[in-house]
Amino acid sequence: MPIKLKPVDVAIVGLGAAGGVAVLPLARAGLKIAAIEAGTWMNPHDFRPDELHNNVRGLLTSVPKANREVPTVRDAPGAPTRRGAIHPMMNAIGGTSIHYWAQSWRLNPWDFKTRTEVTKRYGAAAIPRGSTVEDWPISYDDLENYYDTIEHEVGVSGKAGNIQGRIDSAGNVYEAPRRREYPMPALRGSGFTDLMMDTAKQLGWKPFRPPAAINSKTCAYHGYCDRGGCHINAKNSTAVTTIPAALKTKNLTIFDLAHATRIESAPDGRASGVTYIRNGKEYFQPARAVLLASYTYENTRLLLLSKSKPYPRGLSNNHGQVGKHYFGHWQNGVTALFPFDINVWYGTPAQAAAIDDFADDNYDHTGLGFIGGTTLQPHTEMHPIASANMNTFGRAPSWGAKWKAFIHENAARHTSAYMQTSAFPYEQTFLDLDDEVRDPLGDPVCRVTSGPKENESRAVAYAQKKMEEWFRAAGAIEVIRPQANPPGVSTHAYGGTRMGDNPESNVVDRWGFAHECPNLAILGASVMGTSGARNPTLTAQALSWRTADRLIATWKSI
Amino acid sequence: MKKLTRRTVIASATLVPVAAIRSAAQIPHFAILEAAADRILPPDDLGPGAKQAGAANYIATVVAADQPFLNNLSLIDDESQKRFHKSFVDLAPADQDSVLTHIESTARPFFARLRQLTLEGMFADPSYGGNRQFAGWDLIRYPGPRLAVSPEEQKLRDPIKPVRRSANNAH
Repeated sequence: MPIKLKPVDVAIVGLGAAGGVAVLPLARAGLKIAAIEAGTWMNPHDFRPDELHNNVRGLLTSVPKANREVPTVRDAPGAPTRRGAIHPMMNAIGGTSIHYWAQSWRLNPWDFKTRTEVTKRYGAAAIPRGSTVEDWPISYDDLENYYDTIEHEVGVSGKAGNIQGRIDSAGNVYEAPRRREYPMPALRGSGFTDLMMDTAKQLGWKPFRPPAAINSKTCAYHGYCDRGGCHINAKNSTAVTTIPAALKTKNLTIFDLAHATRIESAPDGRASGVTYIRNGKEYFQPARAVLLASYTYENTRLLLLSKSKPYPRGLSNNHGQVGKHYFGHWQNGVTALFPFDINVWYGTPAQAAAIDDFADDNYDHTGLGFIGGTTLQPHTEMHPIASANMNTFGRAPSWGAKWKAFIHENAARHTSAYMQTSAFPYEQTFLDLDDEVRDPLGDPVCRVTSGPKENESRAVAYAQKKMEEWFRAAGAIEVIRPQANPPGVSTHAYGGTRMGDNPESNVVDRWGFAHECPNLAILGASVMGTSGARNPTLTAQALSWRTADRLIATWKSI
Repeated sequence: MKKLTRRTVIASATLVPVAAIRSAAQIPHFAILEAAADRILPPDDLGPGAKQAGAANYIATVVAADQPFLNNLSLIDDESQKRFHKSFVDLAPADQDSVLTHIESTARPFFARLRQLTLEGMFADPSYGGNRQFAGWDLIRYPGPRLAVSPEEQKLRDPIKPVRRSANNAH
């Protein structure tokens, strides 16, 4: 029998980008919180400029829990499954916000109302066949206040392009109105990103420096941000921002190195608390409300594993919607070779030249055969092993003296643009539990079923041609547009517990609370119904803060 | 359930190469490994090859307990004996290349791994046993790990003065 702990107001599973934000308003409101986190604290000494450690071996994590439960992937039911080498997530207090790229974008209004907007502009037939995309139950305007809160509480650098309708071409002119400027200026450019900014302007596009949860006044641009932590705490992970602030209230207790195994429910259908294993002992943490914030794959898996009398198919899954409406960003970057050293060794991926001209519905899609679009971002940060393993563009063999001469000349002259193409949910794309592969506790891992998509493939191909045009205009002598490949296990994974007013097709309501289980809320990109063409974290964090606010406002009736 | 702590994960990453460097030459077929890596990235006017850079020392730390990989190394020698009646390490470079070209087409996953490990041994931080004297980083003009980088160090075209430093000794 698990050891029963003293009840708390709120138990939260996962203290990463989403959970690490939600604890701050809750703690300030005086609620007693128990945070159950698989990892523990990391500190700047853990963060070395070491490509083999961070990028090749994926060892930057405080415990290897996630890597022992890597999801499996298959194209369709019945197709063979394959398994990723490493999990895209890490375990630590602060979670993946420690080693992510920190790109902190707001979604556009179109992303919240895709079905309505597409139907209005192009007709209902333009919605991709088989897609289950719905309008969000909330609009950009409902979230604007929370975007602003996160940008200031976590700390996001950037240049506004639209303050209350006043357009500034130094920022992103396609962004929706924001109430005020970012709290910190945008990251600086590099020789290469400045070249790309100038070239984009010559092409008539609207380039800008993208927003990032990086302190632009202290960032050292040392080049080991990707899958690396920041040695000077300039990356504003929740481990150095909202979590320490919540701890100061004395209302947050962190149970680190704790592996949550089930969310328990009472016979009346309410969530009663969380069972977890810590130091080889099993505990039960009772709570009046439970927040699930363990990333998209684990959110679905924990719900499906948490079977009970009221929920025989998994917690909050009596409508069979847990795991549905899953999708991931398509990321199929274009690679270019220049006839001079571009010197992108240092910097950080958020030190970029970005354009939004071909994202979302910022351009006319009539006749293109797809909806959605792509942000294009040439950027800095390149490591030596990956660089030497460069594409040879058909100009050299892959080993031997001629190859050596080729990489000697060109390893400092190539780069790949970061390109995120919006993706949509489909009937045949979903998460469930694997039949065979299990974690060390014997629980099945999450399984991704996701096949090719015509809409997304066409969108990728369109954006790749624009990126080739941009690279060539900047002087590239070779460009490779890779085949559009659907995402496997992704750092940009959405859905599985989608937000919507209709409980027949959504797991959580417009506030993030489970339709079926009123004192269970779910945090993270798993509640998002569309992705936009930009990184998910800021939106996931804004939604988390909003859900926490709702919990505080309705506390007496929860 | 046995839990690894952060400390042991980190320690295993940094201590393995140091401990293994001494015993690297003791893995079976080390000479073949060293010679094959040295054809993937050969010595010439541009700089040292994989052998002189110590790439095989690094690779040995990774494959010491990988019996299928070690068996595949002996395949290289078998093919040399079949073609030239000599051990791989005694062949002329051009003949070594013809053997490796055959291995590349007949044992594709093995060769791809050998190539990847050679890249890691050549271009990873020198604390892992390869990239001696920063030979790999000099070859591709990687200017080394810095803890802070100025705008002047991010310019187009201008060569940057390399810092000859290991990340793992820097902390």
